[in-house]
Amino acid sequence: MASMVANGNRDGRQGEALVLKGVDPETCMIVFKNHWAQVVKILEKHDPLRSNTSSNMAALGVIGLSSGGPMRFGGPIPGDEASAVQNYVEHMLFLLMEEDAGQAGAMGPILEFVVMENVMERLFLWSLRRQFTDDMKLEQLKMYEMIVGQARQPLLHHKPVLRPLMMLLSSCSGTAGPEVEAELVSLLNQLCCVLAKDQSVLELFFHTSEDQGAANFLIFSLLIPFIHREGLVGQQARDALLLIMSLSAENQRVAQHIAENTYFCPVLATGLSGLYSSLPTKLEVPGEEWHCLHREDWLQMPTLVQFLNSLEFCNAVIQVAHPSIRDQLVSYIYNGFLVPVLAPALHKLTLEEVMTTTAYLDLFVRSVSEPILLQTFLSFILLHRHENVHILDTLVSRINTPFQLGTVSLALFQTLIGLYCEDVMLQLILRYLIPCNHMMLSQRRVVKERDFYSVSAAKILALTPSCCSPEHSPPPLRQLDSILWSKGTDNSPNTGTMETEESFLEEDGSGYSCVIGSEIYLDVNYLHYLYNARLGISSCTRACQVWSAPYDGEDPPPEEGRQAQTTTDPAPTNQLELEWDDSYDAGPVVSPEAATAESSRPPQPPAAEPPKHIQEMRRTAIMLVKGSYIEESDFQDDVMVYDLVAKKDARDTVNSSEVIKGSKEVKAHVEDHNSNLQSPLATEVGDDLMDQYEELIRTLGSDEAGTGGSSPVKTVDKEFRNPVVTPMEEDEVDFSSFSVDTPELEKQHLSLFGTKLRSGSTKSHSVPFTGPFVSVLLSRLENMLDNSLHVNLLLTGILAQLAAYPQPLLQSFLLNTNMVFQPSVRSLYQVLASLKNQIEQQASTKKDFPELITSAQHCLLARESSLKGQDSRECSPPEAGRMMKSSPPPQPKTISLARTEVFATVLFTEFLKELAAIAQEHSILSHVPMEE
Amino acid sequence: WEIHLDLMLNCSLTRANGELLNFSSPARPSFGKKQLPSIPKNAVPVTKPASPAATAQLANGTHASYGPFYLEYSLLAEFTLVIKQKLPGIYVQPSYKSALMWFGVIFIRHGLYQDGVFKFTVYIPDNYPDGECPRVVFDIPVFHPLVDPVSGELDVRRAFTKWRRNHNHIWQVLMYARTVFYKINTMEPLNPEAAVLYDKDVQLFKSKVVDSVKLCNSHLFDQPKMDDPYAISFSSWNPAIHDEAKERMFTHKRRPEDHQKGLQVSGLSWVKPGSTQPFSKDDNPPQS
Repeated sequence: MASMVANGNRDGRQGEALVLKGVDPETCMIVFKNHWAQVVKILEKHDPLRSNTSSNMAALGVIGLSSGGPMRFGGPIPGDEASAVQNYVEHMLFLLMEEDAGQAGAMGPILEFVVMENVMERLFLWSLRRQFTDDMKLEQLKMYEMIVGQARQPLLHHKPVLRPLMMLLSSCSGTAGPEVEAELVSLLNQLCCVLAKDQSVLELFFHTSEDQGAANFLIFSLLIPFIHREGLVGQQARDALLLIMSLSAENQRVAQHIAENTYFCPVLATGLSGLYSSLPTKLEVPGEEWHCLHREDWLQMPTLVQFLNSLEFCNAVIQVAHPSIRDQLVSYIYNGFLVPVLAPALHKLTLEEVMTTTAYLDLFVRSVSEPILLQTFLSFILLHRHENVHILDTLVSRINTPFQLGTVSLALFQTLIGLYCEDVMLQLILRYLIPCNHMMLSQRRVVKERDFYSVSAAKILALTPSCCSPEHSPPPLRQLDSILWSKGTDNSPNTGTMETEESFLEEDGSGYSCVIGSEIYLDVNYLHYLYNARLGISSCTRACQVWSAPYDGEDPPPEEGRQAQTTTDPAPTNQLELEWDDSYDAGPVVSPEAATAESSRPPQPPAAEPPKHIQEMRRTAIMLVKGSYIEESDFQDDVMVYDLVAKKDARDTVNSSEVIKGSKEVKAHVEDHNSNLQSPLATEVGDDLMDQYEELIRTLGSDEAGTGGSSPVKTVDKEFRNPVVTPMEEDEVDFSSFSVDTPELEKQHLSLFGTKLRSGSTKSHSVPFTGPFVSVLLSRLENMLDNSLHVNLLLTGILAQLAAYPQPLLQSFLLNTNMVFQPSVRSLYQVLASLKNQIEQQASTKKDFPELITSAQHCLLARESSLKGQDSRECSPPEAGRMMKSSPPPQPKTISLARTEVFATVLFTEFLKELAAIAQEHSILSHVPMEE
Repeated sequence: WEIHLDLMLNCSLTRANGELLNFSSPARPSFGKKQLPSIPKNAVPVTKPASPAATAQLANGTHASYGPFYLEYSLLAEFTLVIKQKLPGIYVQPSYKSALMWFGVIFIRHGLYQDGVFKFTVYIPDNYPDGECPRVVFDIPVFHPLVDPVSGELDVRRAFTKWRRNHNHIWQVLMYARTVFYKINTMEPLNPEAAVLYDKDVQLFKSKVVDSVKLCNSHLFDQPKMDDPYAISFSSWNPAIHDEAKERMFTHKRRPEDHQKGLQVSGLSWVKPGSTQPFSKDDNPPQS
């Protein structure tokens, strides 16, 4: 029967409509009334109250024959009668749908009749009276979907239509099978569309009940359980919810209701936690080169797709919803997902797990676009402390891990730097530069100075290893496209105007002006670097217009920065204990036995110790390097336990709120109706109707009560109504731990783990320090010759990205080669110079170095062209080496990627050009007035 | 009338600015003209002795192949400085063919040379900034003690006896070129006749100046002397062309808010101005 309606809805309608076109309204009305009279006959015959006495016998007679379903109201209804009703109803509905509204928006006669006779409600009761199976629900839902979607006049304004619809909706919640759920959500979606178009219906949907004092918004509550569903149902539910969200932005009442009376935000946020817990804790990494989750990666992981769908939904909600909902959701995401779930996950014990979490975090940050949600993630990364250590510091320290974790961490920072976010840059680098401690006092005025003559670029390019200089490039790579450089004054500096002019014109006649130096070739790919530098700097400069300060050595004033650095901010000192050291290759001081002993030891006072997870990780890292690493499966990790609990909780929460809310709403709804029956026609049917209805619901709800229980809701209440406040503790910093002797303690302790304290150990906060991030980046860059190609690509990419920032403090630190820094401060230029020396040394000891260089260049060019074919949408900035363009060379002998020093040399040369180009463009762009 | 000129120049200057700053963009088709097609493999390159500057750079260990880039960017930097200075009555734009040659025009708004409109060309030595000071040559030799009556060259060197990098900039030369018309100096003149007249018979000097100004202005609408797309050329007022542009100039006001609205600002900041703490802005939603 349901299918008949559906068919009528989808396929049959066209024909029907054509048939009805010519028929006059009065005839339609007569037909409708006739049909209804027939229907009423059957209905009344089986009405338990009206027909009890008359048809009891007959009903009893039938009982024996029927196939024993539950019989509540006077016995089963014969099939032929049911289908007769169904046929009449179908016709009636078509007539109703096709009826036009009366004049001035008045009801058409059929609709008026439907309202007066309470047709819809009686039909609903009829279907209840029969076995209220899923099929029956489906039929009813489809019926409403059809008339709501296709009627030519507004139907929902009329309580006799709306009320049975609401009853139907509430009775469908919670218990139904997948088919009913799909239909339910589809109808809800349709209702939300109507709502979005016509807000006047909203009032009717709310059904304010004076006795309860609380507004009810059933269609919204019914959608909540489907938020995190996968597939079409989930998508439809989320779309529908979004419609309501944008409604909330304009309608205070809707916003208030959602924020105060529903579990929408907590369900959404805990859902993230639940979905997160079902993500793989270890990723199957495709190769060593892999460092971030690209689209094609996560599309292969259904659980991740589902998580991202929900995250995207949060993003969308935050975008459109009323600020009160937005703020609530953001707060739940922070306190219900980031802090309790993601933070522990970032501190798991194995490298693989931590790496996986880091890659997830990177993906999440890249997926979020709404500034407020992004801010939530960023403030978690920048300010949250897990076990008293800033997440940021932990992440920075991991850059130096020799494994994939290091690369994945680098990729995360590439994402962060690419956001052009002042807060990120402030925490990562700028706050260390603001005090101007890193430079000689006399150099402060140099910060804003402009490099008129590309002196820095020239100095950077002068570091080009002799084996890679343009003059020495082998023929296929050599840039044959020479640039013409016109020199109008070349000929005759001392001759008069006319002569100069003549000679100029003469040259012009030959087509082009003169070439500068015959044998000097211009490096054409340098033009590409200039072009890219220009694009990068312009977009960065434009983005940074929203920043609060220029960071030019004067604003913010250096004094303030110093204060900020030394008092309110513990990170510089904290960092000392965190910073990874590349001395892992010096061999572990702790034997595996000692290490195991250590782990079983009771927890130590944290005062002088690096946090446990850092110790653990360092230990496993050391073991891994030494080849003695065995995956320890029995790590007693309370994080893991927590996750399991969270997972379970999340599931329970979702399920239970679905069930409990459902039945609660229904009840409220029914009560609401009791006090609300006003229609004179409806009242007489009303009483018995509501009694029947209530009884029905009671029986339907009885099995729910068993499974649901009420405690999960209480849990939700406890956790989310009054979210556990996680203080930032910014002002609870123990200043004594930053005193001069603390590093000594650390030194003792850290030496246990075979770490030599490099940059940090002897430094108190007054000693110039450009921050852990810069220090880690430079120390990785220093090892460029040993790094694999992809690590170097990431590293140089990040440094180039940083160099493109227009802030004079950053620019002068990274690019100004004339700047005199404090002796203890390592500059980018120093590292580059030392790399050049290393390269020259290698080149002089290896005879085949030039050949190898050529092979590596060809190999990189080939890689370049193969990358171009791929979809690289998610790769943010252009990497160095990307731009090595030239005529496709004949493939020479291949070279193993293991020759890292060779690839590094080629990359180094390209990186110099990239940096020089950025320096040159800065000298122009940073000084052009912004109007164009 | 001067508005018309200013307007016209402004339009073309903006364009020149854009063009110039886009100079290194390989995507621009116009750039193609600056680039020779690939030299055929066995072709002998045009032989010209390498410039001394380039050789010197080679000796320094700097790669000479980047020399032109340094030079160009130095000149670009100079040009952006000129724009910044907003020198009254002076307009310049680099030529299309060489960044070492700039076209200019100067409007004298009061004093002896009032109403004078003098076109000139700036020649910058190719070893800039380490060479001599740039030269300024007027298209038509103006009657002036410091302007060579034959070549039209202004005596710039007296003001910049030694060109010092970082201290001397091209805008100063332009500024100087303007000043000489307001403050007459007759010491060691290039045009002794003008110098003597100024000292001995100002009235005659004045009338000679008036004649010179008239002569210059009468050639204003001549074709530019150099055949260069960016040469400054004047045309008479044509309402069909100029009215609309004038209208736009007068209605165009810089409104930074509007400007920013148009651009998609992608940067982020939650730092309160005056603070160095992240997320210090008041309107941050609560995290806990």
